[in-house]
Amino acid sequence: MTFFGEHPWTRWVAPVAALGLIGGSAVVTNQQADADPGLPSRTAAQLLADVRSADVAALSGTVVQTVDLGLPQLPGLTGGAGPGGPRAGASDGDSGMSSLATLLTGSHTWRVWLDGPTRQRLALIDGSNETDLIHHGNDLWVWSSADKSAVHRRIPTLMHPLGPGQDTRGPADLSPTVPRTPKEAASRALALIGDDTTVTTSGTASVAGRAAYELVLTPKDSATRVASVRIAIDGRRHIPVRVQVYSTKLANPAFQVGFTSIDFGRPDASIFAFTPPPGTKVTDKGTLTLPVHPSRKGATNPAPAAPGRLQGPTVVGSGWSAVLVGRLPLTAADRGTAGDPRSWLDGIRFSLPRVMGSWGRGRLLEGTLFSVVFTDGGRVAVGAVAPAQLYAALAAT
Amino acid sequence: MSAAEWSRSLRLLRSELLLIAGRRRNQMGLLVLAAVPVLMAVAVKLSSSGGGQGGPDLLGSITSNGLFVPLAALGVEIGLFLPLAIAMLAGDAIAGEANTGTLRYLLTVPVGRTRLLVTKYVSLCIGALWGVAVIVVPGAIVGIAIFGTGPMLTLSGTQLPFWSAVWRVVLISLYLAAGLAALAAVGLFISTLTEQPLAATVALMIFTILSWILDTVPQLDWLHPWLLVDRWMAFIDLLRDPPFLDTIWQGLLVDIGYAVVFSLLAWARFAGKDVTN
Repeated sequence: MTFFGEHPWTRWVAPVAALGLIGGSAVVTNQQADADPGLPSRTAAQLLADVRSADVAALSGTVVQTVDLGLPQLPGLTGGAGPGGPRAGASDGDSGMSSLATLLTGSHTWRVWLDGPTRQRLALIDGSNETDLIHHGNDLWVWSSADKSAVHRRIPTLMHPLGPGQDTRGPADLSPTVPRTPKEAASRALALIGDDTTVTTSGTASVAGRAAYELVLTPKDSATRVASVRIAIDGRRHIPVRVQVYSTKLANPAFQVGFTSIDFGRPDASIFAFTPPPGTKVTDKGTLTLPVHPSRKGATNPAPAAPGRLQGPTVVGSGWSAVLVGRLPLTAADRGTAGDPRSWLDGIRFSLPRVMGSWGRGRLLEGTLFSVVFTDGGRVAVGAVAPAQLYAALAAT
Repeated sequence: MSAAEWSRSLRLLRSELLLIAGRRRNQMGLLVLAAVPVLMAVAVKLSSSGGGQGGPDLLGSITSNGLFVPLAALGVEIGLFLPLAIAMLAGDAIAGEANTGTLRYLLTVPVGRTRLLVTKYVSLCIGALWGVAVIVVPGAIVGIAIFGTGPMLTLSGTQLPFWSAVWRVVLISLYLAAGLAALAAVGLFISTLTEQPLAATVALMIFTILSWILDTVPQLDWLHPWLLVDRWMAFIDLLRDPPFLDTIWQGLLVDIGYAVVFSLLAWARFAGKDVTN
């Protein structure tokens, strides 16, 4: 105490040091992504082969998704459009799934549990609410805490819509066109995307506190709004743990989905058990049929296709700057209920700014990763490009 | 510390707690805190429209399980009433004593300024726990008396048996008390800056309300994780099954950060402070 007695001001060093320590550790935690966790270097082909052969049957973790597509505040963004999240594959327009449509904007947290091909659970944490998707054997439950409702479906055996990229290396797959080894698949995939994409490995990253490799896909085409796609692959278990899509217009990822915590232990069996609690509105939707997604695009083009059925779409250009030009069904018979993607689309279309040019007149939705033009004639052009390319594509078709 | 020093510190803490408990305004404050869950339970019972539709989820679930009464009350009171209670206690802790001139006499007790400050902070932490308990215990008793103890429905759609539901309520109480204890450290620091207890109370309320406001501004989302109140409402994540602890740990880390920095600030200020009257 005598030292502090003689130099009273030195006491203030303590709180300042504490503050510095807290700030410093926060910065270090955030910058761990740049640190080299000391993984042996792997080439892109090796990494893809690793991912193909990854064998992770069980895991639990937290996934955070942030989306900054630069979309305007749109009315009715709680409609029924299929979200772009890679883990939302089971969306088939269920009423219980409507809350999943809000995933187009902002930040969202998921909890994920997997245990083999027959047991999965996904919980969307939404403020003081929760939407759960529970697949257990032949049952698929969607629980929504907001309105205390549950939707039940039966899944025919051999059909597991939530399978986390399960390798279907069964006898049916032994046709000559299907790559037989992970290595073969990886090199073929690289050759396929190599024409218009540069694939590199950019050192390593830290995802969910674990060392991970990073695979960077950079479009060779400068017209696209996609600056790069970075895929982090866990260093030991070789599953993709984070996907970031960078826009040419933003410093931060325009789209990012990745684990913030992950545990490869087998989750407790009780996690997958669901019995509708008393007082729940239970809807039984019978047996699930194969969901059909006519607008779902291939994985090489990250631009989300417009919801709604496109009639005879034409592709203008190729690779990353390809523009899809099509026609929206506008007949009265196609009009659905309020939750239908098409009426939802109408709602947002009329709130968009008007644009015109030699191609005609219409409305423009300009985002950080993609643009959409709806012409007054009912045509629509979508692409991961600037509006000017869309106008050119509309004029050309 | 020797045994004698321990007993001196404990005696100081005991007299401090008796002082806090004896103040009429503190007793009235506790009464107000305890009245909220009772009012909520009675109002829901009288309206008896049945839960589920509209309104906050916790309030809607009251009818199914009495244990939701304290939780709904905590959700309401953590916004303003509980911080106000802490602000009152913190204002009295140093500024109040300085104002009435009793701080000078306290400093003649042979315990040293640092230990006096620690005692003050410990009593504030006990006060935080006390404030939460005074909501939870009467709320639970009234809730169970009116609505019974059905299985507790979690946000994940599962049902908890009675005793694990009680355990969740205890965890939520401790989590919120930790947040209030961190707020008390801020209050203690403010209390060392002034000799006007009212000024310290008002300043801490401004700090709290400003934090809540900043927390709702989406343009400042980079700041949100650093706000003390940001993760307070995450107590609801303990009502999931299994409990979602990521946010709870983040909240506790922020609590600890605030508590450490502001306790040290209070110490740096108080140990060198001139006590004039």
